[in-house]
Amino acid sequence: MDFRLTEEQELLRNSVREFTQQYLEPIAGEIDEEGRYPAEVVAKLAEMDWMGIPYPQEYGGAGADYLSYCIVVEELSRACASTGIILSVHTSLASWPIFQFGTEEQKKKYLVPLCKGEKIGSFCLTEPGAGTDAAAGTTTAVLDGDEYVLNGTKHFITNGPVAGIYIVFAMTDKSKGAKGMSAFIVPREAPGLKVGKHENKMGIRASQTAEIILKDCRIPKENLLGQEGQGYRIAMQTLDGGRIGVAAQALGIAQAALDESVKYSKERVQFGKPISANQAIQWMIANMATDIAAARFLTYYAAWCKDQGLPYSKEAAMAKLFAAETASRHTSKAVQIHGGYGYIKGYKVERLMRDAKITEIYEGTSEVQRMVIAGNLLR
Amino acid sequence: MPRIITCYKWVKDEADIKVDTSSRQLTLDRVGYKISDYDRNAIEEAVRMQEQHGGSVIAVTVGPPSAKQSLKDALSRGPEEAYFINDPSFAELEPAQTAAILAAVIKGRLEYDLIICGEGSSDLYAQQVGPRLAELLGIPCATYVNKLALEGTRINVERKLDDGIEKISLPLPALVTVLPDINTPRLPGLKQVLAAGKKPVHNIGLKDLGLTCEVTLNTTGILAATMERRRLRFGAGNEDIRKVVDALLKEGVIA
Ligand SMILES: Cc1cc2nc3c(=O)[nH]c(=O)nc-3n(C[C@H](O)[C@H](O)[C@H](O)COP(=O)(O)OP(=O)(O)OC[C@H]3O[C@@H](n4cnc5c(N)ncnc54)[C@H](O)[C@@H]3O)c2cc1C
Repeated sequence: MDFRLTEEQELLRNSVREFTQQYLEPIAGEIDEEGRYPAEVVAKLAEMDWMGIPYPQEYGGAGADYLSYCIVVEELSRACASTGIILSVHTSLASWPIFQFGTEEQKKKYLVPLCKGEKIGSFCLTEPGAGTDAAAGTTTAVLDGDEYVLNGTKHFITNGPVAGIYIVFAMTDKSKGAKGMSAFIVPREAPGLKVGKHENKMGIRASQTAEIILKDCRIPKENLLGQEGQGYRIAMQTLDGGRIGVAAQALGIAQAALDESVKYSKERVQFGKPISANQAIQWMIANMATDIAAARFLTYYAAWCKDQGLPYSKEAAMAKLFAAETASRHTSKAVQIHGGYGYIKGYKVERLMRDAKITEIYEGTSEVQRMVIAGNLLR
Repeated sequence: MPRIITCYKWVKDEADIKVDTSSRQLTLDRVGYKISDYDRNAIEEAVRMQEQHGGSVIAVTVGPPSAKQSLKDALSRGPEEAYFINDPSFAELEPAQTAAILAAVIKGRLEYDLIICGEGSSDLYAQQVGPRLAELLGIPCATYVNKLALEGTRINVERKLDDGIEKISLPLPALVTVLPDINTPRLPGLKQVLAAGKKPVHNIGLKDLGLTCEVTLNTTGILAATMERRRLRFGAGNEDIRKVVDALLKEGVIA
């Protein structure tokens, strides 16, 4: 057993830290406030070879492992959770299904520009009436000659307004339920694809979330990903990997809460001594640090399982569940440690607390993670 | 096309050093290491020059065997190979010793036009290794360099001195020591990080050099400097100047 990261992973972590200090920390508060997508930072992620970390260099990726990708999402999220999820959705929800299920032509045409960061990826599963129950989706795809025609509305789509490539799930045979769902690669230019309403969110405000409206949207037949009827399975397997990315995002948020709490509690003086001299504060910090360490082990372990080719569905669910709840609980504690100041805009912990909540909701709510874990144990 | 050697030192990261306030002892057990700050500028300048003019860049470091960790870091920043001169006795070298070891390695083994060093290391900042190395190699040297341009067989440099900027030109081969404002070192991309492990590293031990190295620098103790605040308050009126001066005299700050 070896708890050490490789030299390469350590070097990567150091360069992400320097990167965030230079480019992200100075703007994170501002882009949250304005709800502005940090296009200039995303362009730099591509220069650093971080837009296709776990994919082979022949497809424009960096050819590193999934754990390296987690380290990047974690460290980015420590500065700005919005940037963390922009990268995570791009890498594990949009690029991975093409890498895993795509034909050689599809990889050349779509995976390469994604990995190079020339195009941003997005994943369109959720619909207004189909959230947790994703198989209840009503978007349809009908084969018409050499083209599929897609109709329906997807909502809450991360990267929706900025993406160049969308992975869209639609029913090719409604009568079969989940087994009638198929996955498609839809380029932004496809006629009939429109970005609808932008959401005004509580947290991760710099990541863009919107409706994607498909109205007689025509795509070539070759853009079917995998086989007809495989869509639900593709979605679920994709989300298994995505959850490790969200766990890493939650981990970064929680770590930032700890960093801020340690710093502030040593500086803030009440009753003639730093508040860190009180056991009540010390215990909050000790609990925070312990949960974060546990979340980190779960997250890295899930990534390691994926890298080793071992099953990782349960491990990913555990990592995401625990990291997300750690982030929510302890960002709230971090605000507590900051007292009234923590409730005021401009203090980082205020943003962290808002950002943390989403990690318990997307890519499967905490309830869904428990269902996945129990399902794995009880079958 | 310039053949460039860039020298760097692997040092403790001062950001990780903790101080026990009561005893003033330094806690070093969780300290990380890094390429000395200005040496990053030296490597960057070498790589930029190569991008502009072609040629080659070799990174050279002298240190204890544990400095092996530095190699991928250095190579990810652009040099195509590294010379790692190591021995357990190299943990606390004096600048004169480091310069002698570097000179012994470079002399028979490496062909070069330009050697770029950092102005001083983040730990000792003795500013000696560069000039001493130049002396031992018998080549011209410019320190405090914040601009560098290659022109044929010469190098034009700007030296940032206390009282102004000095512009000089040196014939190659030459050695320069650079200041941090010469450039902003880029962050290595992930592909460069992954490629670093595949670049050649030449391990050289003390035996290969036919040198001996006696530890002459012996650290007997390190204590953190502390700042004791007197919390004296003075008014802003003319008559208060006297009081400020009296207080400074009393504290022995001025005499
Ligand atoms: C900011 C943001 C970004 C998003 N990005 C994307 C994206 O990029 N792509 C995409 O496809 N989707 C995205 N989503 C959608 C997200 O994945 C869904 O919101 C999530 O899956 C929950 O679905 P829902 O909102 O419809 O809630 P519902 O499914 O209605 O759930 C409501 C509550 O009921 C619980 N519940 C539901 N079913 C059960 C059950 N069987 N047992 C126990 N409890 C249950 C849930 O856990 C939850 O607590 C995003 C959402 C947000 C808010």
